[in-house]
Amino acid sequence: MNDTLFAQLSTLGASLVLLFGIILLWRRSLMAYVRAFQQQSAVLAALFVVVGYFGQAPELYVVAVILFALKVILIPRLLHRMQNQVGIGYEATPYLNVASSVIVAGLLVLLAYVLTRPVVLTSTLPTRGGLPLAVGLIFVGLFVIITRKKALAQVVGFLVLENGIALLAVLGTFGIPLIVELGVFLDLLMGFLVMQVFIYHIQDTFESLDVDRLSELKY
Amino acid sequence: MAGYLLAIIQMVLALALAPMLVGLVRWLKARLQNRCGAPPWQPYFELRKLLGKEVVVSNNTSWLFRVTPYIVFGSAVTVTLLLPLITANQPLDRTGDMLTVVYLLLLGTFFLALAGLDPGTPFGGMGASREMTVAAIAEPTIALSIFGLAVAAGSTNLGQIVAQTLAEPAVLITPGHLLAFVALFIAALAETGRLPVDNPSTHLELTMIHEAMLLEYSGRYLALIEWGAWLKLLIFLSLLANLFVPWGVATTLSLPALVGGLAAWVVKLVVLGAAIALLETQIAKLRLFRVPELLAVSFLLALLAVTSSFLLR
Repeated sequence: MNDTLFAQLSTLGASLVLLFGIILLWRRSLMAYVRAFQQQSAVLAALFVVVGYFGQAPELYVVAVILFALKVILIPRLLHRMQNQVGIGYEATPYLNVASSVIVAGLLVLLAYVLTRPVVLTSTLPTRGGLPLAVGLIFVGLFVIITRKKALAQVVGFLVLENGIALLAVLGTFGIPLIVELGVFLDLLMGFLVMQVFIYHIQDTFESLDVDRLSELKY
Repeated sequence: MAGYLLAIIQMVLALALAPMLVGLVRWLKARLQNRCGAPPWQPYFELRKLLGKEVVVSNNTSWLFRVTPYIVFGSAVTVTLLLPLITANQPLDRTGDMLTVVYLLLLGTFFLALAGLDPGTPFGGMGASREMTVAAIAEPTIALSIFGLAVAAGSTNLGQIVAQTLAEPAVLITPGHLLAFVALFIAALAETGRLPVDNPSTHLELTMIHEAMLLEYSGRYLALIEWGAWLKLLIFLSLLANLFVPWGVATTLSLPALVGGLAAWVVKLVVLGAAIALLETQIAKLRLFRVPELLAVSFLLALLAVTSSFLLR
């Protein structure tokens, strides 16, 4: 009974996390991107707690707290500040329109199901139902990065990709060692800060966050 | 025999309650917006008024225009015979499963769009084209989201799905069911012409979808189409209520179970109607070009629902 409850809760959590990734594709304003990322991270933190409780891995509680502090409070706040400085923007013309990108996201998730099928079939983990969703989220994050034009949207895409990797790690292994987890968080924060510097530079040079304009020789 | 009688009683109840449901949604919406609002039974008066009026038909129309009201109303009434409204095991269930239900509903929409084109008025054509844009994505979404439940229950028979879910209620918090619920809810809003897809109380022809196709109708034709549209709302809300929250639906044909089933059905309809009224006061209509995007999202959710319930079976 405990195992079935665990299986259902983890799959449910994984689908919610994926759902926020898809909401990201539907929304246009960059504010909404940040909010969707924030909610996604909150659900992810809750999922860490669930896995920590059922999988008897108490160090996951620590990871959940750090994840909450970093991805629900700190990074969204930095993103908001960045937005206020560069002006609130809209992802008006992504490379692929919204309706098609939603459909493509669906195909990507199906692809993730196909790719992870051997793993899911041979695995005995109670969390195996969520694995394809985690891989799907990684694909969706990548897809956001390659189809959106605004640099800020691409940063959020990167963060979602990172969330997907964290989800895969927690569902597949019930938590990698705490020290590795801390390293990943530090890496993420550094990566984010570097991207922030880049965004300010792009904004200063081109007076726009549109990455299309990076390929123009004259501006 | 009692089963067939029960199916007829269900149909009559659905016919009788459909105007009340719409009236209730309108009244709640008015109260939420600090208006007095017409009483919930107002739609009955509208029906009586329309049924008593003379029918005016343009000279440019063909037989299609005259047949459509009967098809729209008839298909909706037939669907109410097939649904598990009060009881999950009714004999007519065997004559048509979820595919029949979905495509009977589409039949009404299809003929209504044809009838909108038939008189050759600009607004009718516009309404028909918009309705088809919406229906083309909403209809597969509805079929897929119910398929998600059918895969989990192992049968496309609606009564069987309800009975199966009642037997194992744990299946309700699986992602397949939750995603299917959201998908079906969005598609139901689109199909019944509610906000954010279509504004049911609009008087501006340019923003109409459903209403624009009815502009040429009058008298009893209009009454039948309106009644059919109200029935459609009742059908979708009943589907949402009984497929996803099946508690209360009678599984035996004993009298207390049936009374309980009726009470549960009415309560669920009132709750869902209130949810729609609340939603419609909170949100604005979407721009028409954003509607296919919203429906694409709901289609995706339905697709994921089917995938996950198929693979987690």
